[in-house]
Amino acid sequence: MARKDFLDIVSLDREEIIQLLDQAEPFKDLFTRSVKKVPALKGKAVLMLFYEPSTRTLSSFEVAAKRLSADVTTFDVPSSSVTKGESVRDTIDTLQAMRADYIVVRHGLSGQPAAIARQTGASVINAGDGAHAHPTQALLDAFTLREKFPEMEGKRVLITGDILHSRVARSTSTILRKLGVKVAFLGPGSLVPKTASPDIPRFTNYDQAISEFGPDAVYLLRIQKERMAAPFFPSDREYHNLYGITDERLRQLAGEGTYIMHPGPINRGVELCDAVLDYDRCLISQQVENGIAARMSVLYGLKPQTS
Amino acid sequence: MNLFLKGGEVASENTAPVRADVWIENGRIKAVGADLAEPEGARVVDVSGKIVMPGMFDAHVHFREPGGEQKETILDGSEAAINGGITGVVMMPNTSPSIDSATVVKRVLDAAKECRIPVLTSGCITVGREGHEMAGIDGMKKAGVLMLTDDGDAVPDAALLKRAMEYGSEFGMFFASHCEEPQLAGPRALNEGAVSYRLGIEGTPALAEEISMSRDLALAHATGATLHIQHVSTAIGMEQIKWWRDERGAKVSGEVSPHHLMFTDEDIGDYDTHYKMNPPLRTAEDNIALLEGLKNGAFRIIATDHAPHTEFEKSRAFEDAPNGISGLDTALVSLFDRFIDKGEFGWDLIVKRYSAEPRRMMELEAAEVAEGKSVDLIVFDPNGETTFTKEFMKSKSSNTPFLNKTLKGSVDMVMLRDEVLLER
Repeated sequence: MARKDFLDIVSLDREEIIQLLDQAEPFKDLFTRSVKKVPALKGKAVLMLFYEPSTRTLSSFEVAAKRLSADVTTFDVPSSSVTKGESVRDTIDTLQAMRADYIVVRHGLSGQPAAIARQTGASVINAGDGAHAHPTQALLDAFTLREKFPEMEGKRVLITGDILHSRVARSTSTILRKLGVKVAFLGPGSLVPKTASPDIPRFTNYDQAISEFGPDAVYLLRIQKERMAAPFFPSDREYHNLYGITDERLRQLAGEGTYIMHPGPINRGVELCDAVLDYDRCLISQQVENGIAARMSVLYGLKPQTS
Repeated sequence: MNLFLKGGEVASENTAPVRADVWIENGRIKAVGADLAEPEGARVVDVSGKIVMPGMFDAHVHFREPGGEQKETILDGSEAAINGGITGVVMMPNTSPSIDSATVVKRVLDAAKECRIPVLTSGCITVGREGHEMAGIDGMKKAGVLMLTDDGDAVPDAALLKRAMEYGSEFGMFFASHCEEPQLAGPRALNEGAVSYRLGIEGTPALAEEISMSRDLALAHATGATLHIQHVSTAIGMEQIKWWRDERGAKVSGEVSPHHLMFTDEDIGDYDTHYKMNPPLRTAEDNIALLEGLKNGAFRIIATDHAPHTEFEKSRAFEDAPNGISGLDTALVSLFDRFIDKGEFGWDLIVKRYSAEPRRMMELEAAEVAEGKSVDLIVFDPNGETTFTKEFMKSKSSNTPFLNKTLKGSVDMVMLRDEVLLER
């Protein structure tokens, strides 16, 4: 049964996730051909509605939709009626009249895409809402990890950084655990809430996390300054020293063959040093490439209730 | 009016309901007793199997007039009260403009004259509820205000609240506190815990209420002021009130809202804004502790914190939707359905905590179904049921989780003085 919307990972079961991952593979194979498009969504209208600034996710969705031959419109939120005080609900009513089949939404408020999905027959895809969910990121992360570990069951991923404010931490930890991957959180005590999940080990010390948890991949999160109204740790420098991948820590990880992942954008000198980007097991650019295939899979798999 | 309520059970604050007929004539209760002779010329209403009890009194309601009439007017709010078996209310002053001067108090009480039940109002502690200057206490007192509160927010400046308590107590006023430490409270959308993490919204920890309450209770004790703590949502908060009252003799009391006894943050589910209010819904452990507190006398009163909002406002994303739950239409029926019918407590508790004590707190005489008393009573059918449709509810708003739900129990009649306000 095809879903109308793609709002979070929590509501997906393991079979649906595996189907989405399997479905993404032929799309990825397409990228190496001379013609990178398929006609799957020909004649369908995809609307990009980004209330928060985004470069990589927005362009990834645009490329994904275009490779499925959809007509893509990007709604220019900052210069639109939204800044004149129009409510989201009224904006959606207006956009409904333009007959979009798919609406890709990013919003600063948790739950806003779900509210939009209830209002419209178009398929709503959550491209990140507040600190709640970023399900296509989770899907591309799982896809990327599966390329390295076809048998994911029992593999270990240490998610590091601002767990409290991160929608990526929530969605990616959820998808990985549904696929049998063991997840642990590492970060400053003020950014790794004790209430997060009783089933996810919580570390506040890097060395202890590495030695006790023994990760197959370290997943670095960006410190989200824009979501922090008040200080959660003393300085970027202290964060880097305590939790960042320094040259020395990189040598250790290389010795163990540990992969490094990051959803981007990166902050050099905070969560990672420059050398990480030249590390042969750094998967950041694969994540970006796989993001297009994963998003094509999501768009392809949804069923809008528009006539 | 000459009316004979035949065959009912009369409830009071001190005993279990007693089988008795009630004869009402010209706004007074002429006689109460088992198997009274049907008086000549009286309209006889068969209320067998039903509870006859004093009208409820709700000391914490938000009628949005002036400034928010699209949510609720004083008249609509008072009709919602009647619909729920409530025959008196106290408005909170967080209107726009705030009820912080004799002028606004008079404007509000003027509008309240249209209502079929007494509508009282509280007044602000500080001008505009802004926490900077003391509001015009003498003028408000003369206009009829007894309760001072900045409800919606705590007074942020402890020194100012101390001085207001020292000053205002001399006028015979009492204070009511919305307890919440603003820095800890954050954006005020839901309880901090597993649910707030899952939903990705910054939560308000129980600590925000506990710390603020501890401050205000100590201030009341130090100044000798009478202090009522509004809508207690945490077990530790409740314990503090008891301690100051019982161990230190402070003149302090507390209230609990039906929703804090019935719901938890888990009920928010997938961002259901009907469960968004402030203070937020906490945990199942808090529910149990607060219910226990209600039974053992930790709370002086039950009050709804009736906070209507329009459907459009509540349809916004969870973080953007306003805090508040509508309560007057549903309170009594829901308390029956959830607690009395399940044997958690009896009618005597409801009469004491939702009728007699809130009236006494407002220096009014407690209503009683007893010979010689003025008529202020309701008839409740424990075998009936109520479906809370938009049409049924008299509030202008319908922001309640009970919307379109059917609960056990029904308010069948409401009578005040010489008038039948409701009969179904």
